[in-house]
Amino acid sequence: MLSYIVRRMLWLPVLLAIMIFITFWLGFYGPGSPEQVLLGQRYSPETAALVRRQWGLDKPFWVQYGRYVLNYVSLNFGESLTKYPGQPVATLLARRLPITLQLNFAAVMLGVPVGLLFGAIAAYYHGSWFDRGIIFVSVFLRAIPTLVAGPILLFIFAKQLKLLPVGGWDGIFSPSAILPVAILSTGIIAGFARQTRANVLDVLNSDYVRTARAKGLSEVRVLLGHVLQNALIPLITIFGFMLGGMVEGTLITETIFGIPGMGLLAFEAINARDYPIVIAITVLAAVVFALSNLWADLFYGVIDPRIRNT
Amino acid sequence: MARLLEVKGLRTQFFTQDGVVNAVNGISYTLDEGETLGIVGESGCGKSVGVMSLIRLIPSPPGKIVGGEVIFNGQDLLKISDSEIRSIRGNKVGMIFQDPMTSLNPVLTIGRQITEALQLHLGMNNAQARARAVELLELVGIPSAADRLDDYPHQFSGGMRQRVMIAIGLSCNPQLLIADEPTTALDVTIQAQIVDLVRKLRDELGMAVIWITHDLGVVAGMADRMLVMYAGMIVEEAGVKELYANPRHPYTIGLLGSLPRLDQLTGEKLDSIEGLPPDLIALPKGCPFYARCQYRIERCKTDTPALENVGVGHRAACWVDVTRDPVTTENPWHTA
Repeated sequence: MLSYIVRRMLWLPVLLAIMIFITFWLGFYGPGSPEQVLLGQRYSPETAALVRRQWGLDKPFWVQYGRYVLNYVSLNFGESLTKYPGQPVATLLARRLPITLQLNFAAVMLGVPVGLLFGAIAAYYHGSWFDRGIIFVSVFLRAIPTLVAGPILLFIFAKQLKLLPVGGWDGIFSPSAILPVAILSTGIIAGFARQTRANVLDVLNSDYVRTARAKGLSEVRVLLGHVLQNALIPLITIFGFMLGGMVEGTLITETIFGIPGMGLLAFEAINARDYPIVIAITVLAAVVFALSNLWADLFYGVIDPRIRNT
Repeated sequence: MARLLEVKGLRTQFFTQDGVVNAVNGISYTLDEGETLGIVGESGCGKSVGVMSLIRLIPSPPGKIVGGEVIFNGQDLLKISDSEIRSIRGNKVGMIFQDPMTSLNPVLTIGRQITEALQLHLGMNNAQARARAVELLELVGIPSAADRLDDYPHQFSGGMRQRVMIAIGLSCNPQLLIADEPTTALDVTIQAQIVDLVRKLRDELGMAVIWITHDLGVVAGMADRMLVMYAGMIVEEAGVKELYANPRHPYTIGLLGSLPRLDQLTGEKLDSIEGLPPDLIALPKGCPFYARCQYRIERCKTDTPALENVGVGHRAACWVDVTRDPVTTENPWHTA
């Protein structure tokens, strides 16, 4: 197991190097360029050349790339170009990231247990009205994009009922957090409930659950002692992916509700063609994704002895 | 010998989308204390469902025991409460299953899976249960048992896992051990070891055994009495020697004919029973074996024969006396 962890850790920098290269390559050869953003609609070729020289944009690809990598290795993520000119990207991220993390943490803390519970109950009483209801509601909710659900919820709860604020952010323990957390956790509940249902059904039909019942164990002990742990194993992967998608996953939600987190920053930066911010967020997202997958793999070992012992 | 188990008219059905599957259709038999009963028949003939119904272990829904009685120690197991049947499962009645590779929980240690029943039924504390688990593993022939208690199922081979399953089945000193094709998933040398082990343990511990198999050879040296099942019914019952020497049902004759024999001439082909068993959703009128039977007569098509005495302790469900009446159809499946 230890050697497995070490091997996985060694892969991490390789993965990041590939990720950084792709991000940079896309920025370099993609349409548009920093001097266009800086200089606006009209500028002379001479001014453009001057800016390019100033920023080192006239250097060949590999030179620029090398400098970029060196900067990242020394944790220098550059400064914002257009949206927040002159502000270090690191400062911006440090301010925005905690908000996104709080938002996601709340959604996961709410969504995962509720989804697990609903899924497990649906599976245990499979074929019942509760089961059918859970499947219908979760498919229905999953099918509504945030882009549609957000404005509808705002219209009902903020505009018509005037119960909740229209947007903004007063911290995670404020009314402003209720709708965004509800939207994010609904997606998690729907996804987890369906997946848990499928897994628990699978395990309930397994031979070892029959063995457990043949021992005379009560249904509660069969479920908690034999079914749950086995049903959780495939969910770890999904949980890992879910965590990985978080940094960007809240892009739409944060934008709709005007929450100054990473998602909104990404949205602003893309609109303003603020290259350093876009690249930094992309790389950060990749790091989070890689780490959460690593975490998922390690957690597999905790829960499944077949992996732990290899 | 005192009567341990009496099954009367047991019927189990599965309610599926395609219709009602008549898995077990009114079977009756008895078992004495310490006796070994072999149940044979091909796949899907209701052997497993029949014994799992005894301790109400069939998945429900879709399965349902729709009729009959299962008198065990004077008590009808089909009438008692759920918690009462649970106090019998794993305690008075132990079970071992077909596939040892999937019958153990992959995420729990072997020790945990054995001690579970001990703590539940015998009220042992952790230390007592672990000590007993070591004894049990030694009993079923697992070397350095104490060291293996904290191992997981994937660290054991198939034969070793089946030994663990036997240890679990025997853990609470059951009066009855139900073995549901315990050797089918194992290779031949391991099969023999498992059969020998169960026979030895039965003689030591004095429990009754119901051994299900589709292999007549496996139970021959072990069972006292045999039931032959076909399409959810018992078609023949006899003492083991009587059944092999003097089979009275055409299906049993077919099963025996498909076994290789040591005294057979080399190069001789084994006989097989042509065709397939009937659809359990739409059982035909008359004898279920009609379509495949070489001895069939007109009456078999319309009337289902009941199990009747044909000798001492020998019952068969057939209109024809195969010892006298001739074969009527050489290739029944092709002419049906």
